[in-house]
Amino acid sequence: MTVAFAAAIAVFTGIGAGLGISFATGKAAESIARQPEAANNIRNTLLIGCALAEATAIYGFVIALAIIFTK
Amino acid sequence: MGNIQTTMTEGLATKIAFTIPVLGGIKVSESVLVNLILSALIIVLVLLATRNLKPDKPGRLQSMLEAMVGFINGFCKENIGRHWRHFAPWIGTITIYLTFANLCGILGLTPPTKDVSITASLAITSVFLIYGSQFRFLGAKGGFKRFAEPIPLLLPINLMEIGIRPLSLCMRLFGNVLGAFIIMELLKAVVPVIVPAAFSLYFDIFDGLIQVIVFVFLTTVFTGEAINEEE
Repeated sequence: MTVAFAAAIAVFTGIGAGLGISFATGKAAESIARQPEAANNIRNTLLIGCALAEATAIYGFVIALAIIFTK
Repeated sequence: MGNIQTTMTEGLATKIAFTIPVLGGIKVSESVLVNLILSALIIVLVLLATRNLKPDKPGRLQSMLEAMVGFINGFCKENIGRHWRHFAPWIGTITIYLTFANLCGILGLTPPTKDVSITASLAITSVFLIYGSQFRFLGAKGGFKRFAEPIPLLLPINLMEIGIRPLSLCMRLFGNVLGAFIIMELLKAVVPVIVPAAFSLYFDIFDGLIQVIVFVFLTTVFTGEAINEEE
């Protein structure tokens, strides 16, 4: 059972990624509203930033899998 | 519940496809087999697409291919600078291979990037590219000096990045592909009919393409950082 708790705690890194990406998307939406001609640039920047921020959540997921499947 | 657990355990283990009966049996894993299939597919497609190239009256397919090559060349020129010609073919090849590898889930093959060995080897080639080009284009002394470049205070961080960058590239690609695969397997176990096709649009296709873009973009930007001379 401690394995289940440990894996659950490891996936808490998702909180950071969720908050960070939501803030970034909010700022991106604001800046597109302010200057619609730069929408393409802003969208590309947003996607790359989100993929990079998502990586930290994925690290937590990989650690949780490693904990579950190697005990 | 036991069904879901066996699904997950099967999804994470790497299966042996066949064994070459030479030198005491070399085990060939499934991801290597899928890699060979994808390589054969890419080679056949490339040979078919570049059959009658005409320099003065390009057809539609040739114009599309030229646009793609121009896009990758422009991307490398923007991020790497003067020596972009050395890197553009490799970046283009990695883009094509990763696109096929991440998206082959919709063809029914298991994606080879689900295996951590495949993504680790891709990350190691990126490391050789970045640091090899740093020493090749700046010389031995310049290469070592580049580690202390913006401020000498960053020297330990730059040295740690030699290990952290490939680890992060490998784990990002592996984690995303594995997570998408597990979610698709769970979906197919619960609702086998229409819903997996709709979700597969996001998980298999969109997520796979984003990971290709991120991997190639990061490799190119790191290489550009390592060899940029015009400050």
